Amino acid sequence: MKSIEQCKQGMRAIVRFRRRSVFMMAGIAIGVATLSVLNSIGENTRRDTVKRVKNMLGTFDTVMVRPGGKTRGMVSLSNVDPSLKFEDAAAIAREIAGVKQVARLQNAFDIDVSYRDQQISPAVFGVSDNWLALRGDEVEQGSFVSAEDDRRMMRVAVIGSDVRKSLFQQASPIGKTIRIGGVPFEVKGVLASRGAGPAGASLDNIVIIPVSTASRRLFNRDFLTMIIAQVKDPDDSTKVAAAISRLLRERHQLAPGMLDDFNITDPQAVLAQLTNVNSTLTMILRGVAFLGMFGGGVVIMALMTLGVSERRREIGLRQSVGANRGDILFQFLFEAFVVASSGGLFGAAVSWGGVEAVAAYQKLPAVFDQQALLASIALAAIVGVVFGSYPAWKASRVDPVAALRS
Amino acid sequence: MILVENISKIHRRNDGAPVHALRNVSISISAGEFVTIRGASGSGKSSLLNILGCLDRPTGGSYRLAGEDVSSYSDRSLARIRNQKIGFVFQAFQLLPRTTAVENVEIPMVYSGSRVDRRRALQALERVGLGARARHFAAELSGGEQQRVAIARALINDPALVLADEPTGNLDFAASSEIMRIFKELHADGRTIVMVTHDESIAAHARRQILLSDGAVIEDAAICAEERWQ
Repeated sequence: MKSIEQCKQGMRAIVRFRRRSVFMMAGIAIGVATLSVLNSIGENTRRDTVKRVKNMLGTFDTVMVRPGGKTRGMVSLSNVDPSLKFEDAAAIAREIAGVKQVARLQNAFDIDVSYRDQQISPAVFGVSDNWLALRGDEVEQGSFVSAEDDRRMMRVAVIGSDVRKSLFQQASPIGKTIRIGGVPFEVKGVLASRGAGPAGASLDNIVIIPVSTASRRLFNRDFLTMIIAQVKDPDDSTKVAAAISRLLRERHQLAPGMLDDFNITDPQAVLAQLTNVNSTLTMILRGVAFLGMFGGGVVIMALMTLGVSERRREIGLRQSVGANRGDILFQFLFEAFVVASSGGLFGAAVSWGGVEAVAAYQKLPAVFDQQALLASIALAAIVGVVFGSYPAWKASRVDPVAALRS
Repeated sequence: MILVENISKIHRRNDGAPVHALRNVSISISAGEFVTIRGASGSGKSSLLNILGCLDRPTGGSYRLAGEDVSSYSDRSLARIRNQKIGFVFQAFQLLPRTTAVENVEIPMVYSGSRVDRRRALQALERVGLGARARHFAAELSGGEQQRVAIARALINDPALVLADEPTGNLDFAASSEIMRIFKELHADGRTIVMVTHDESIAAHARRQILLSDGAVIEDAAICAEERWQ
């Protein structure tokens, strides 16, 4: 009963000193809003990164093998070792149990593609027919390169949406003849748009032809720029990657101690690295958010300490009519708790708007995590009680005799 | 009611030198008495009242209040005694200014462990003639009215002992007379009243005067006041 009555006294004090209460709430609200908005930026960025990586890798069940040692950037025929052969791809498909299928890629970036008087230099990909399924791509119009096309080294092409726009504008490209490095190809399909890759470049500026056609009739090269192995079970990708590595070392006759002449990307490892919750960005955001909450706490502590010295007579009076030190401590802690949690609530409301604004600015859907919101309100209450405990303790130590004399 | 034996109170000044506020004071006050404590400022009368009111502890000696030896009580127990057995009236009223009269009167009930009873608080205000001003903020009331609110607050938990520290010190003559009239009523109701004052005309209302000087009792006299009561 005493606690309930004391809480009522605390509520009245909050109203009585409303201006100070509002300032304290504002301090905490800013802290909470900072926390929520930064949290949402971090989460948004993480999701966007995952999306872009997914754009590049297609699905997360593929292991990519590229020639050369630790190469950086996009591979193409002009900058890789001729170490990865068509036979390596066949061997992976044949000998590694966890592999469902293997796609082959031979690509170049410096090939002119023209239609009538339009000329561009998109990425030219010679691929096997299973590329589409492996990448999770979709054909918007027409059809994709078939196994038959590949076997017969047909001069057919499937183009990305950027290429279609550049060469054909509004006209339908199906059945039209484009020239790739001067060689005529018939357009048989258009890919659906994929958007941007991890570096921000468009993935739609692309022309796809059968890999055998590319190898024999266009580039005249017998090595691949990439082998993509789809695993049967995505959880096995790390194991499969290791098996592929062993197989290729054996095939390339690399003695123990020699460096790989290829490199393997395990999607699990990439994803883990990109979505690492302890990434620098996350740590910085967390640090700033922590500082925001800390600032809110300091505001509470400072204003409450001032409040306690202004309310010494009230404290003395309460003691003279029967409040013990614990009662005084309780009332002030309660006031801090109420002010901080309502500040937290207010901050959450503000941050709702903030999150929407940030999302609009980042051009991403707003990530509003309800759980994080509740957590930040709870955190606000804790901050209030922790930072309010010093002034509340000060209040409980007021000497009634001295306080009432003043 | 009150049995004080050989109590002393020693303050330490900032330089560590001891100041004797009270020296071996022994007083016995029976239930129902109206006692005034007089003395020059610095004579120790407020120190004595604070100890009697359990707001302060003596440095030495013993204090029995209504049969309980409170000298050794904890903060929590002393707070309970102040809440249940003692009503304080201060010179500076000590009301919360931006709080209504009735809410001021309710404050001791907050710490009594029972529900705050608004009706009782209003009745207490009516008894001191302020029923009509119950919803006014304390700061809007005159000095005399504020002191009457303070008296209503002191009485809300029905204490046997009322301690008043210069209750008329901040009031004009008319207001003082009204306050003293109320105190006499309380005395007539059977409450024990101990009042600190340096005003002889106020002290004359009491049946017994204790005179303090330099922390010691120099006179403790029952006044044959029949002729003064008229």
